Amino acid sequence: MLVGARSLSETVKMFYLSKIEHTLRLPPHLLSRPLDEAIKLELENIFLDKVVANLGLCISVYDIFKIEGGFIFPGEGASTYTVEFRLVVFRPFVGEIIAAKLKESDANGLRLSLGFFDDIYIPSHLLPSPSRSEPDPDKRYDVRWIWEFGDTKYLIDGIDEIKFRVLSVKYPPIPIEQPEGSKPFAPMVVTGSIDYDGLGPVSWW
Amino acid sequence: MKILEGNAGALTNFEVLDFLRSRGASKDPTRVLVPVAQSEFKVYDYLVESGACNQTRESVNEFFEKCKKFKLAKAEMLNIINIRPSSLVEIDSVIEQSDTRFDEEQLEELVDLAVTLLPPHPNQTIIEEGTNENEGPAEGANENEQGTAEGDQVGEDQKGTSDGEEIGDVEKMDDS
Repeated sequence: MLVGARSLSETVKMFYLSKIEHTLRLPPHLLSRPLDEAIKLELENIFLDKVVANLGLCISVYDIFKIEGGFIFPGEGASTYTVEFRLVVFRPFVGEIIAAKLKESDANGLRLSLGFFDDIYIPSHLLPSPSRSEPDPDKRYDVRWIWEFGDTKYLIDGIDEIKFRVLSVKYPPIPIEQPEGSKPFAPMVVTGSIDYDGLGPVSWW
Repeated sequence: MKILEGNAGALTNFEVLDFLRSRGASKDPTRVLVPVAQSEFKVYDYLVESGACNQTRESVNEFFEKCKKFKLAKAEMLNIINIRPSSLVEIDSVIEQSDTRFDEEQLEELVDLAVTLLPPHPNQTIIEEGTNENEGPAEGANENEQGTAEGDQVGEDQKGTSDGEEIGDVEKMDDS
């Protein structure tokens, strides 16, 4: 009798394979290479390190199934191919526990980074209660969060990794205009919480 | 662009690490000549520091086998493999309603299974024991099948809770 929120038939992991079909134009400077190598390079240029809505962050090209086409359209200088291939995408599932490093902490909460993915936010209401923030003596605009549990104070400093549980993964729509000086647009935002036993900086436990 | 299958298969951290290794990613600083992109290196760096770097296919399979009797959800088993909890507290955050589904003895057994079957990741060994028993992963750019981990693999058959541990060497099979 399982009380999990997912059905057993669905495997949930952090990295997935996604099968994609894409039509691309092979730029002429790649014509000297063998075809599959050239196609792979062009696919990597297009997809790597980019977020596809509802799919996740594309990490790398896993393999290529088939390459069709090779037609040259009138007025074009290069041939166009239709490629079927698989991509490794990073898509954390809700409930997953990930260890990440602290990137910055401010009055709204924490921001964590995985090296290849930086938009992980832990809002202040999802820190273990009661927490309070105090201005960081080292950096002027940063704030340090301290969790007071009973009599002891636990500090969230940037030294060790922080384990958090994924609460939601959102893909906000691309804004038409952005006000000056705002943060660059984040196509994939992961919200997490560290309000459970065993979560938070590794040194706490 | 057309998405044919959004979910054509799931990969454990270890499998992604293995795939990147087979393409030639490694830890050494001269990374220019390898056909691996910068962003892929960042993923490799992250995975290497996590628990996946010292796992092998066999240890992961073994862990799955032994866990079957606990009837864990796939998400929980995956979390345990990725996180490698070393104490009861860490298991608690992974398993939902752990107090109603299992009693303390079973939870301890699960923690022991995780600790013995899954090799610790580098940060854990430094904190836990003070000696780094696991050396870094082998740099095998030619090995397509498995990444070989150097270091002793502790595999044991555990029935119930036992105090004594038998450390045996697991034979690694190389396909190359």
